[in-house]
Amino acid sequence: MKNVIIGQYIPGSSFFYHIDPRTKIIAVVVLMVATFLLETIWQVLIGFGIALILIIAGRVPIRKIVKGLKPLYVLLLFTLVFQIAFNRVGTIVLDATMQISPFSILFMIAATIIWRLLASFKKFSLLLFFAYLVGLFFIMKNLAFSPLWTTWQLTIYDQGLIMSGFVIIRLLIIITLSTVLTLTTKPTELTQGLESLLRPLKAIGLNSEDFALIISISLRYIPTILDEANKIMNAQASRGADFAEGRLKDKVVQVISLLVPMFIIAFKRSEELADAMESRNFVPGKPRTRIHDLKFNYRDLITTVITVLCLAGSILVKVL
Amino acid sequence: MGIQFKEVSFQYPGWGKQFFEALKDISLTINDKDEFIALVGETGSGKSTLAQHMNALIFPTSGTVEINGVPITAKRNKKIKYNSIRQQIGLVFQFPEYQLFEETVEKDIMFGPKNFRVPEEEAREMAKKALNMVGLSDKYLTRNPFNLSGGEKKRVSIAGILAMNPKILILDEPTSGLDPAGKKLLMNLFKSIQKETGKTIIIITHDMDLVYEYTNRVLVLNEGMLEFDGTPDYLFHRHDIDKWHLDYPATISVLRSINDKFHYNLDIYQKTIDAAVSTIAKAVQS
Ligand SMILES: Nc1ncnc2c1ncn2[C@@H]1O[C@H](COP(=O)(O)OP(=O)(O)OP(=O)(O)O)[C@@H](O)[C@H]1O
Ligand SMILES: [Mg+2]
Repeated sequence: MKNVIIGQYIPGSSFFYHIDPRTKIIAVVVLMVATFLLETIWQVLIGFGIALILIIAGRVPIRKIVKGLKPLYVLLLFTLVFQIAFNRVGTIVLDATMQISPFSILFMIAATIIWRLLASFKKFSLLLFFAYLVGLFFIMKNLAFSPLWTTWQLTIYDQGLIMSGFVIIRLLIIITLSTVLTLTTKPTELTQGLESLLRPLKAIGLNSEDFALIISISLRYIPTILDEANKIMNAQASRGADFAEGRLKDKVVQVISLLVPMFIIAFKRSEELADAMESRNFVPGKPRTRIHDLKFNYRDLITTVITVLCLAGSILVKVL
Repeated sequence: MGIQFKEVSFQYPGWGKQFFEALKDISLTINDKDEFIALVGETGSGKSTLAQHMNALIFPTSGTVEINGVPITAKRNKKIKYNSIRQQIGLVFQFPEYQLFEETVEKDIMFGPKNFRVPEEEAREMAKKALNMVGLSDKYLTRNPFNLSGGEKKRVSIAGILAMNPKILILDEPTSGLDPAGKKLLMNLFKSIQKETGKTIIIITHDMDLVYEYTNRVLVLNEGMLEFDGTPDYLFHRHDIDKWHLDYPATISVLRSINDKFHYNLDIYQKTIDAAVSTIAKAVQS
């Protein structure tokens, strides 16, 4: 089976790994709230600086965090473009006439091709993309010879830039915080922490223990089920249902030939698991002990103090 | 033609950078005619992994598997029609649950032939014939495969491969979980298929009695290495097979202890119970 690591947890032993999951969850939530209290670009920059210091101190691999940001590139870019194009506050930093002509279209196509060709250097993909955008800008500004098709005015105000920086950095802080949480906490610990935190909700009928049990069993069985899917796929492939070959119509039948045994086996497995649990005296809803009890230690104290300081700081700058 | 392994190694990926080396440097040739091969070895020795190489379900990490002239290497090759390889080499899986999915036994057995473009009516005929071959009557055709017993499922899954009429037939523990009569019936079926059509048949099994009685070649795997390739007679004449975690067939064990206890000098290498009994009878009478 392909390597499947559920969640983003990477084993390690630095400070963050030894904090009680409950402390971590609450700290992350509180720090996120604190981040949203900040109002100026300088404040979020300082916040980002603090987040960076914490990450480096906790020896969390920055590479992993950057990786965690990948799915959000589009969102970040959209924010940037939106702010730059529509924010009309402050002083003008750039006012350029953009022109489009058959020539510039040709240049743009060429630039796009070059960009896609270079895109195989995955490491610099973001940098390349920005270079591509700058290139487009340059082409439209300077390389449009007649006959012109259209012209338009690109006006950028300084507040647009500052606001987009503000929004992006705030987003970065929040993502960094949640990534640190998921990188340094096992999924099982997370659910255990959540369960413990949600326990008071029993009063309104939400049983956090059942909830946590469901989540941890699901997590436990994801690799098993993937493994099983692989076996079924092989068994069907040996009867001529290779997913990589065949026509679309055949593929539909082949997907069914995969899904049906998967469901049957999953149901059977869950029934067996239920029997196995009951035969070992599991009674739903009854209190249970655990192997790893959650315990607070001095690290939780340090975390709490830092968190409270951050929150107090951001409340202070808001009020003052 | 047939199947050639050339220095084949295979690793299962594990967590992170770890991996598990399931096959180590295996070279071997299997003819596509007139072989009845047993693949034996202790649990986890790599038998199922080796079998899945034989119809290109998994690709070697290094080395080449040549199947009917088509070389299979680590990389998937767009030019190779893997499906047609799998039509030629039928593999019955160890666990039938992974294979059955249709709502009736008939449809399930027809799945293979239909994938290989056999017309509907012909496939239906084949399904019925294959089902009867494995000892199940026509009334099973309309049964739901999921409601069958373990042994019945096993037989249906074997029928599903038989219906494809492959040139080489590989069966991963076909007799596990079957009653003695069913075991005999299936082994005799494989034997008669082998005799009548000359197809090569490969069975994976832990049952040395079957190995000795039916097959004419044994491959012994131990910790992913091919330790022995030869006739069962030659294998069981050795005195060190327990280093591969193998046992002797019941006939040999019994006759050997009779020789030891009563100081007879019987020929202990008898393939069947009947032959062993008549050897003993002869000794007692004289
Ligand atoms: N999907 C997999 N991922 C990782 N390791 C595997 C996988 N399948 C099998 N293995 C390992 O490879 C080794 C060989 O497995 P294989 O299934 O080929 O054994 P086997 O000889 O068929 O055993 P058995 O007699 O129990 O069927 C085993 O040690 C097993 O743990
Ligand atoms: Mg096996």
